[in-house]
Amino acid sequence: MKTFLRILAGLVLVGVIALLAFIFVPVQRTEPTTELAADWQAAEGQGELVLDAGDCVACHTSDDGESLAGGRAIASPMGTIWSTNITPDAETGIGNWSFADFRAAMIDGVTPNGTHLYPAMPYENYRLMTEEDMRALYDYLMTEVEPVSAANKDTNLDFPFNQRWGIRAWNWLALTHDAGFTPAGVSDAQDRGQYLVESLGHCGACHTPRNTFMAQDGVTAESESFLAGGVVGGWNAPALRGDDAGIKGWTVSELADYLATGRNAHSTANGEMALVVEHSLQKLPDSDNIAIAAYLKGMDGDAFDLPEEVAAAGPIATPEAEADDAGAATAELLVSADPDMPLGARLYSDNCLGCHFASGKGAPGIFPELQGNGLVVGSEVSPLISVILNGAEVPPTAKRPMTLRMQGYADRLSDDEVAELATWLRGAWGNDAGAVAPEAVAEVRDSDSAH
Amino acid sequence: MTDLPGYPSRRNFLKGSAAGFALTGIAASAEAQTEAPVSLDEYQTEYLNEAEWAFIMAATARLIPSEGDGPGAIETRVPVFIDRQLASDYGTADDWYMEGPHDADAEPNRGWQTPLNPAEVYRQAIPVFDAWCQDTHGAGFAELDEERQDAALTSLSNGDVALAPEVRDFWSLLLSNTKEGYFADPQYGGNAGMQSWVYIGFPGARAAYREWPERHNIEYPLGPVSISGERA
Repeated sequence: MKTFLRILAGLVLVGVIALLAFIFVPVQRTEPTTELAADWQAAEGQGELVLDAGDCVACHTSDDGESLAGGRAIASPMGTIWSTNITPDAETGIGNWSFADFRAAMIDGVTPNGTHLYPAMPYENYRLMTEEDMRALYDYLMTEVEPVSAANKDTNLDFPFNQRWGIRAWNWLALTHDAGFTPAGVSDAQDRGQYLVESLGHCGACHTPRNTFMAQDGVTAESESFLAGGVVGGWNAPALRGDDAGIKGWTVSELADYLATGRNAHSTANGEMALVVEHSLQKLPDSDNIAIAAYLKGMDGDAFDLPEEVAAAGPIATPEAEADDAGAATAELLVSADPDMPLGARLYSDNCLGCHFASGKGAPGIFPELQGNGLVVGSEVSPLISVILNGAEVPPTAKRPMTLRMQGYADRLSDDEVAELATWLRGAWGNDAGAVAPEAVAEVRDSDSAH
Repeated sequence: MTDLPGYPSRRNFLKGSAAGFALTGIAASAEAQTEAPVSLDEYQTEYLNEAEWAFIMAATARLIPSEGDGPGAIETRVPVFIDRQLASDYGTADDWYMEGPHDADAEPNRGWQTPLNPAEVYRQAIPVFDAWCQDTHGAGFAELDEERQDAALTSLSNGDVALAPEVRDFWSLLLSNTKEGYFADPQYGGNAGMQSWVYIGFPGARAAYREWPERHNIEYPLGPVSISGERA
């Protein structure tokens, strides 16, 4: 018995020591993938391009705050995470960080004092950055950005998520991939696109499903679930590969237009994607948006042509999109103006037909098509409900400066009517998605009024 | 237009009755979403007093009578529209220039010159016109039979009723407000159940018929929708 207790006590002691070590022994930083010369200099504009492509501003700037001074609330399933000040202010920003400190935060998710960052910071993806880009970004932040004194807000998640040492265990599961970038070597454009998608653009953070541990289920194209579609904050981030990909019928040119301007012949950017376009993609050179588009379209092995430029200046002839075979019956019903049409079709006629048309094809570059639209047929219905109730807005972009606005119909349609309309939309023109319940509409309406 | 002797006047039957709304309101189909509004008899006015209300009911009923092909002013609740407009910033001319100088006698093409707002024009003109009816036809306007009411309105429209310059636009206000109440969106109290839109085939706030302009001589079959989304 004594022996047993002794063994037990010994095991407990070992466990406690292991736990203390786990919590307090500093994390080993990942070594740089390349040693750059001490006098290495980034090319003109490289640092700013990395900043834009990485979309740093979007998260590290609050609505009414200075650029990069942090303070934006990032909603997560665990609670609100506050983004931090990454200006070179010594007191409140990262002014005292060495390049090695900065790299560790970017690829290991660890701050200089050993605190683990919450993975709202996409270090899973930035881990794939080249050393050159890392250095260019660091130099840019330290020398080109004005220091702003803005104290960080404390992120206080509920237990157990406030125990940041737990992220160390999470990192064992999530950070299994090597640091640095490995091009597939298909073509220069596609390799550049692969880099922007996998690493800086951190597209996978939303467009890749999360596994049981909430880690990205694949961070490079080698994984089949990479970019296979995810759900973020109740929104579908559509699949970008496979037969169900929302971009399946788009050309490289159309996809590049979408990235650079938030709109193309098929659709418009909404929700988080509108922010990505506004803060990041529209600032990239045409060649980069074409590269991203080429890489994404090439993932499924489709042949494609590379366009010369993105969102060419007008005038652009956009022929009227007639209904296709799948949409013919719906279009015919709407055009008939038959008083006996189903209520959903009547509501569409009364409220939507003017812009999205009987064909459901919308107007190229202005009104999105609803046939096969990821937001219309997605597994998540609250974005569709929200757009019907509150409308939508596509931000102005450098190449397409017109703000596109859809009005909301919260005052004009009851919960039952919105549900009826949404259900009809999800089955019209060959769409094949499930019904929307009035309760789901009420929920979105209530959450809006609570804001 | 005149009722046959011995038969109840169709107008009196319809006037103010909720049944009239239901019976003649072809627009009050099963799809109409709004609950049946309070009958005109029970309607609580926002601006008009009792005598003024009786006048507006009687006058609008003659301007757009219920005996024609389509709905009349009563079934479409035009009096409610006028009452609510006079109680609103239209009646009080809130966003008009009303500071003067006022020259009520100015040429009509000089626009609104009276110091009175529309609500005041109604308030001052109705008793004068009623008194004129009393003198000329032997009773206040609302008590006259339809023939005499028509005669009195004809006199008013021809300028044969002496009105002070400040209220000389009373007739044109009354006529245009009646038309507005008949055709305006139902949210303003008139055009109940979008009956006038159904009658003339106006599809309301839909504004999407791009396939239809080329369909000559084919009736557009779908009923109207109001700004607030009512369907008929």
